[in-house]
Amino acid sequence: MTATTAATKLRSDQRRWAPYAFISPFFVLFTVFLLVPVGAGIYLSLTDWAGLGEPDFIGLANYSRLLGDASFGAALGNTAFYTLFAIVVVLPVSLLIALGLDTRGLRLRDFFRLTYFMPVVLSPIIIALIFGLIFDGQYGLLNAVLEALFGFGGVSWLTDPMWARVVVVVLVLWRWTGYLTIFFLAGLQAIPRELHEAAELDGAGLVRRFFSVTLPQLRPVTAFIAVTMLVNTAQIFEEPFLLTQGGPGEATLSVSMFVYRAGFQRQELGYAAAAGVVMFVIVFVLGRIGTRAFGVGRTR
Amino acid sequence: MELNRRDLLKVLGLAGLGVAGGGVLAGCTTSGGGAPVLSGNADLDLWTHDPGYATFFTDAATDAALVGGSAWTFGVDVTSIAPADIVSRLITQAVAQRPLPQLAGLVIDQFPRVMRADIAENLFVDLTSLTEPLGDRLLKTQPYSVDGKVYALESDNSVSVMFYRADLFEQLGIPDDVGTWEELLEIGAGVAADTGRAIGMVANGDNGSIVNGFTQLLLQRGGSLYDADGNLTVVSDESVEVLELMAAGVRSGAFLPLSDPYGGAVAAALKENQLIATVMPNWYEVYGLQANVPDQSGRWRARTIPRFTGGGHIGSTLGGTAFAVLKDQPLTDAATDLLRRTYLSEDGQLARYHAGAYMPTLVDLYQATRFQQITDDYLGGQRVFEVYAAAAMDMPAFYQAAGASVLRDSLGGPILRAINGQASAEEALTAGVHAYERQVQQ
Repeated sequence: MTATTAATKLRSDQRRWAPYAFISPFFVLFTVFLLVPVGAGIYLSLTDWAGLGEPDFIGLANYSRLLGDASFGAALGNTAFYTLFAIVVVLPVSLLIALGLDTRGLRLRDFFRLTYFMPVVLSPIIIALIFGLIFDGQYGLLNAVLEALFGFGGVSWLTDPMWARVVVVVLVLWRWTGYLTIFFLAGLQAIPRELHEAAELDGAGLVRRFFSVTLPQLRPVTAFIAVTMLVNTAQIFEEPFLLTQGGPGEATLSVSMFVYRAGFQRQELGYAAAAGVVMFVIVFVLGRIGTRAFGVGRTR
Repeated sequence: MELNRRDLLKVLGLAGLGVAGGGVLAGCTTSGGGAPVLSGNADLDLWTHDPGYATFFTDAATDAALVGGSAWTFGVDVTSIAPADIVSRLITQAVAQRPLPQLAGLVIDQFPRVMRADIAENLFVDLTSLTEPLGDRLLKTQPYSVDGKVYALESDNSVSVMFYRADLFEQLGIPDDVGTWEELLEIGAGVAADTGRAIGMVANGDNGSIVNGFTQLLLQRGGSLYDADGNLTVVSDESVEVLELMAAGVRSGAFLPLSDPYGGAVAAALKENQLIATVMPNWYEVYGLQANVPDQSGRWRARTIPRFTGGGHIGSTLGGTAFAVLKDQPLTDAATDLLRRTYLSEDGQLARYHAGAYMPTLVDLYQATRFQQITDDYLGGQRVFEVYAAAAMDMPAFYQAAGASVLRDSLGGPILRAINGQASAEEALTAGVHAYERQVQQ
């Protein structure tokens, strides 16, 4: 082989490999931070492992145990409740607030935006402390107000299973509404005024304009928010963990808390991984359903 | 060689899984550490959640009265970590073969996590050779034992007594020497009906607080969650009696249900003079009373807990933090020596009391003049060790098992239902134990 031929081959090899070298950072990161954890998680879910020592391969025993675990069932039910609430209540409330903020001539618009966005930047610990003070059954602010206004105030907000769930979703509402409002507001401001004016000329009233102009124009934003909220709420952890620790009993336990509890309070890492895999599948399926239902990524 | 994007993904994916598998397998051993350091400088790493222990160990390391004559010259480097994270990080560091501390403070309810799968045996030094010669003199080794071996030494005996407002007891005509719970509950019901004040509290917030409150009284009554072999013993006549007492107390108003025995709710109850007595461990004086109502200094007193008519003890225990020595490290022997000198000597125990009011674990020290002479300003100058000595002499043993965390989560809800009158005590306990057994057996 002559020197010229060798140099030509080297250049040819370089040309062949160069594109892969350029795109490799993404694939390396994708592999290290996604494929490896997912693969390790799936493998762990098939083992019995407390953290030290040899993981014992037990096949699908963890999954079979999950099927019969009433705690996991309770966690799934609670998470479904939170997710449903987020979609059915938080989303529309955010849109309504955004519509209010988008009103022409509204004074103190920036103040309202700041106020609604504030819960997002507050530390969850502080939020939990404040909510604890508000909703305490014996000395809480809410019961005191109810007592003063209506003569009753003995609601066990955090220690009654039903009310504890309600308080958690109120916290979700309070915390995330402002954040979603910002997205809706951005979407509303992007709707051309001419569309509203044309509809108005055609005799459309406020409600008709909302359903015929605003909502269709907001569809991409709504789809994004709905799917994001769906996926985030299905993994809800901070709110019930800080406010009620999943209690009373397991009344507010979420699937993420269940995973945490199994892994970091009971040292059942294999079982926690199995619950994590199930949660991943559920969130993935919900995400796909949401994406399809709301038409995310579809061209208009 | 032709390589397309699909092949590249496959190669990287397989390599990644291989790395993960290798990592998992490599993580199955704990790190060794080189040759033991037998003398000289010993700069020990210590993990704890409590600044009090940080101060104590830092000072003790250079206190000639405690470490004089040791082969090592100690230094302590403290890392502050949340209680649950200490165990998690010990395990992850060991798995990753990363540096471990020589000393780690384990909160009592975190210890069951290391009782599984030989974790304690693999991570910690067996301290039985230090504790065994002390026999029954040394209290509270049971919660930190696995298969009869002691893996951590308790820092604070956590003796439960009854704290009460002496001024309000006198004003309301409540004798401060009522002999039994039954009598006190009757008086408490009358006081609650007349004044709205409560002579005790019952936690109704998170599962941990609910079960802890129940366990404290159960131990006092002579019952237990587990026996010495780790068998569940929670369904018993004693448990039913305790739960019925708690429910009756809440029903009559003698016991105040509070979501948080340490935070805002109890602060309000104390400030409003609504909670005028409570059964809690010694550390509650600092973290519960002094922290929330410093202005009530001098008005509180301590006494032993009234007995149950059916039997039991006048003392109990709740909480605690024990220190373990991490094994197979160059400074393991040095750490063990420091722990022995500070935790198992009279001087060390006295220093611990003065550093953070941590109660001695050597039972005979409660009678020692040095301790008996201690007076407590917050408790009106009371000679507290007269009370603590009586309680410590009659303190029940507390056993844990690997499933303690499951038990806490299983019992919390049913106990709360019984306290609220939504289930009988027996039904609640049975339901809780069924839930526990389903999970543990699986």
